[in-house]
Amino acid sequence: MSVGIEALNIHGGAAYLDVRELCAHRGLDIPRFENLLIREKTVALPWEDPVSFAVNAARPILDRMTPEARARIEMVVTCTESGIDFGKSMSTYVQDLLGLGRNCRLFEIKQACYSGTAGLQMAVNFILSGTSPGAKALVIATDISRFALADAAAIQEWAYSEPTSGAGAVALLVGEEPHVLRIDPGAYGNHAFEVMDTCRPGPDTEAGDADLSLMAYLECCEGAFKDYARRVEGADFRESFAYLCFHTPFGGMVKGAHRHLMRRLYKAAPAEIEADFARRMAPSLAYGARVGNTAGASVFLALAGVIDTAGLTAPQRVGLFAYGSGCCSEFLSGVVGEGAPGLLAEMGIARKLDARYRLSMAEYEHLLRGEGIARFGTKNLAIDAGAVPGARRNADGTPRLVLEAVVNYHRQYAWV
Amino acid sequence: MTDDAVLATLIAQIRDVVPELEGHPIARADSMVDLGVNSIERNEVLLLTLQALQLDISPTKLVGPRNIGELADLLHAKLAG
Repeated sequence: MSVGIEALNIHGGAAYLDVRELCAHRGLDIPRFENLLIREKTVALPWEDPVSFAVNAARPILDRMTPEARARIEMVVTCTESGIDFGKSMSTYVQDLLGLGRNCRLFEIKQACYSGTAGLQMAVNFILSGTSPGAKALVIATDISRFALADAAAIQEWAYSEPTSGAGAVALLVGEEPHVLRIDPGAYGNHAFEVMDTCRPGPDTEAGDADLSLMAYLECCEGAFKDYARRVEGADFRESFAYLCFHTPFGGMVKGAHRHLMRRLYKAAPAEIEADFARRMAPSLAYGARVGNTAGASVFLALAGVIDTAGLTAPQRVGLFAYGSGCCSEFLSGVVGEGAPGLLAEMGIARKLDARYRLSMAEYEHLLRGEGIARFGTKNLAIDAGAVPGARRNADGTPRLVLEAVVNYHRQYAWV
Repeated sequence: MTDDAVLATLIAQIRDVVPELEGHPIARADSMVDLGVNSIERNEVLLLTLQALQLDISPTKLVGPRNIGELADLLHAKLAG
């Protein structure tokens, strides 16, 4: 049986900030900024939350399905480190807002930036189990970073994570007709261990040690690939994958991890490493460079970047690496189908990113103050629909879901 | 292996990862940050040094040293078990 991703879409939000402008404004070192390989970051507006991101990512996929096919979605998994409730999962809102059937398994997964891959594997293994032949699963990784950076001390502490932290969601329809990515069943490797590199100890706060997190990431990409190679006979990092898609906290991290593996596994020379990176990995950075770190979604943004920008003309095997602080990681692989570029082009991902509203620094700094934001634990709130004039509606007139209010903890949404 | 030999191994990895430092003097009191080694390169240096020393520990256990000398001392202590 084939299994994998039947459809994929990204929602990169309504507004973005130019990262070079941010770095200049904060007085950050520009050569260090260049190493980040990020140009723009999506900034969540007051009417955007992880649910609206999730639903806006999934709806274009659902709109292209027949009622019969939609009725076969029997599992909705939200994957996030930006949860809005300790008990109620966001998948309950997603099911309702997308009009999905009630014979549906709803839950949420948390493991930092690994969450999306954990969700994908849950879905893949549900399909492979054969317990409900023909069933489909909707996996949505959705994350926003809305850190309270309003005071000078916080800005100083987060000097180099502020330019990279983004917002976005990816929706994956998983089933037996994997036109986008056919998963190689059983081809995966894990590397996981307890480490306190980064965490989110409270609403809209992040703590940790950036150096420690880089170390854990590098150790994991090597460990996870070696576990993959242990399971998959003949697996060769340099030869087996036409393209590579890694979790992208920022592009420079991915470049460092690739360089490390190429040196470690093959003692490759710098020129070979550079050429290999340009050929097999650079396409994966196309969308991460425009929305910033999207946590659980980022490895799939990388996949979308390859499918949309690498000029694929035939099926190609890709290697994917996901890492989530804390930590857990996985290396897995699949084959991008011949029809994948056409299917993804229908989603118009680049066009929608182009249509985002560009925030001024003044508008961004106002948003950072966090006024009128539905935070974790907010009981009642009416969202100000006029907070950023010009960013409210989709430029192409297609419907967009927005958060309107929170009433007795219950989030209320509307299509505008 | 002596502490100085561990230090020499560490410095060799730094020069390997950052070829621009070839010929630049590196001493115990230097920190990699001050030498201009960026965070990803620092981590690569650690991983390569562990490999060269055949030390099978997680690099995440090497947090704390403030300069190259202290890092060499810590690695030397780990080698001694």
